[in-house]
Amino acid sequence: MNAVETPLPPRPLLEGRNLRKTYRLSRSNTLQALRGVEVRIETGEMVAIMGPSGSGKSTLMHILGLLHAPDLDSGRGLSCHGPHPELTFAGRDMVALGESERTRIRAREMGFVFQDFNLVSTLTALENVMLACDYAGTGGAKARAAALEALSLVGLFERAGHRPAELSGGEQQRVAIARALVNRPSLVLADEPTGNLDSARSEEILALLRRLNIEHGQTFVLVTHDPEVGEACDRVIRMRDGQVR
Amino acid sequence: MQMLRNLTRRRLRTGLTILGITIGIWALVVFGSMANRITDMVSKGSAYYDSGAVSVWGGGGSMPKSNPVDISIGDKLAALEGVDVVVPGVSLNISDDAAGMSMGLPPMITGEVAGSDKGRMTMVLRAAMGRLLTAADEGSNVTVLGSDLARQHDKRTGDTIALRGEEFRVVGILEPTLTQPDNSAMVPLAAAQRLYMSTLPSLVKANLTASKVATGFTVYPTPGTVPETIAAEIRATDAELGTMTPGDFTRLAGSYADMLNAVLVGIGLISVVVGGLSVVNTMAMSIAERTREIGIKRAIGASRVRIVREVVAESALIGCIGGVIGLVLGAAIVTVANEAGRSSGTILFELTAGTAMTAVAFSTVLGAIAGFVPALHAARLDPVAALRYE
Repeated sequence: MNAVETPLPPRPLLEGRNLRKTYRLSRSNTLQALRGVEVRIETGEMVAIMGPSGSGKSTLMHILGLLHAPDLDSGRGLSCHGPHPELTFAGRDMVALGESERTRIRAREMGFVFQDFNLVSTLTALENVMLACDYAGTGGAKARAAALEALSLVGLFERAGHRPAELSGGEQQRVAIARALVNRPSLVLADEPTGNLDSARSEEILALLRRLNIEHGQTFVLVTHDPEVGEACDRVIRMRDGQVR
Repeated sequence: MQMLRNLTRRRLRTGLTILGITIGIWALVVFGSMANRITDMVSKGSAYYDSGAVSVWGGGGSMPKSNPVDISIGDKLAALEGVDVVVPGVSLNISDDAAGMSMGLPPMITGEVAGSDKGRMTMVLRAAMGRLLTAADEGSNVTVLGSDLARQHDKRTGDTIALRGEEFRVVGILEPTLTQPDNSAMVPLAAAQRLYMSTLPSLVKANLTASKVATGFTVYPTPGTVPETIAAEIRATDAELGTMTPGDFTRLAGSYADMLNAVLVGIGLISVVVGGLSVVNTMAMSIAERTREIGIKRAIGASRVRIVREVVAESALIGCIGGVIGLVLGAAIVTVANEAGRSSGTILFELTAGTAMTAVAFSTVLGAIAGFVPALHAARLDPVAALRYE
């Protein structure tokens, strides 16, 4: 891809500037969840975003994961005036993208793991993973093979035919990780991936994420308030009151 | 597969919704079959009048009357240009209270001299038992009964039947024709004239001679002459005469049948629409329950179109299942009712392939439409908010 011979400093996979997000809670009440955040995440990094509840760490993840768009300008009323927000992913501008384009990028280039495992309860483990293939435009035998491979990667090949209700919490989270990885995304975002697991299961999941990060060179961004998760990562972004500190 | 599993999540609710659609489609199939049958009877009826013959009666107007007409008017009509054969006839209700008892076709006594149409009548009447009338029967009290009439009075060849107070010997019973002759007692002209006279008020009767009376004429045009032309000619000859051409009959019967069919199909449609509303409710509920699941799907990359498609397909499936069950039940009812009525010749329903396919297609489309609004709601959910939804 790059014709230049000399190795360049790693290009950031994700870069954001002036990210602000104001939520309108009611007619007269707004919440400034992000107050001008600057982040830079390099390709292949495993980064933790940490901070107390309400510090804006989940909001930041939603913006980085294109689930929400940053405020475009000063907004109305209370929010402060500021420069235009910037957000680039793999070198492309994400701020101006429409909803369908963002959905497409989420499906094909990103993977998501949520705290509550969030599997579709009527589908088997295999079908849950195949769902992500389907949304990324892969179908049939190819999707099945990819899904089985992803399930083997998280050690659940044998459990592929089970429904979520028949799996333990740790197993469900591993299915969710397999689903996040099946399309080989360049970025995996995880919101409290160990939040509902006991410490033994947490360590297992963390080790798995770390192994995948090293073996596949995928970039991981984990939102957590568990210090052990923070320690396991390359770097920690600490947040407080909607700002990076 | 996933759609079927989603449907089985709340079996009772899905079942009740499908039941709602089922009842609607069942009603549509049964009433639609009845409407088909009515349309069919009307078209057979107009075939009966399709010999190109113009019916003529006394007293004018656009609806046939049973007024006395002098039989000699027939000779005047026969002399008109384009007229081939004129058959004088007498028809009267079989009893004074019989009119309106059966749907559409009141029982009648009809009298003509057998064979006086000179072979022009296109509807072939066949005797199921015994024989048809002949010209030689004139002067004797014999009758050939239509199939319905024979069944109602439980008469067979050789029995006697009282018509307007006179005893008639049954010499034949007609095969079913599915139209007017089924409900008629055919008698010789002279007998009909006598019976007719007995029904008239004495003041009217005083001026008439039985052998000279008729209630109408069947006028057959020469080949190539349009019945409407003849009808206009007849009315121009004598303003007291009323005419009905095959075209008039089809229009008249058709407009009644159309009205009745519209009512029947309307009832069916209302039932289906009510069923459709229950699909809206079911889908709205099931989407509220699945808010989190929709949030996950949106988050991991399902497009809005995709979510709409899933929901609409699911509700279309509910509609389709309800439609198929309704069709099967409706077809069962129609078949059983027709089998039960076959022996008595009362066939009320006709289920056509068109009606069947329309019913299922309609319920499927209705289901899809019913799912559309809940689907749009689902697609517009904010994935993050939906994920946090408890």
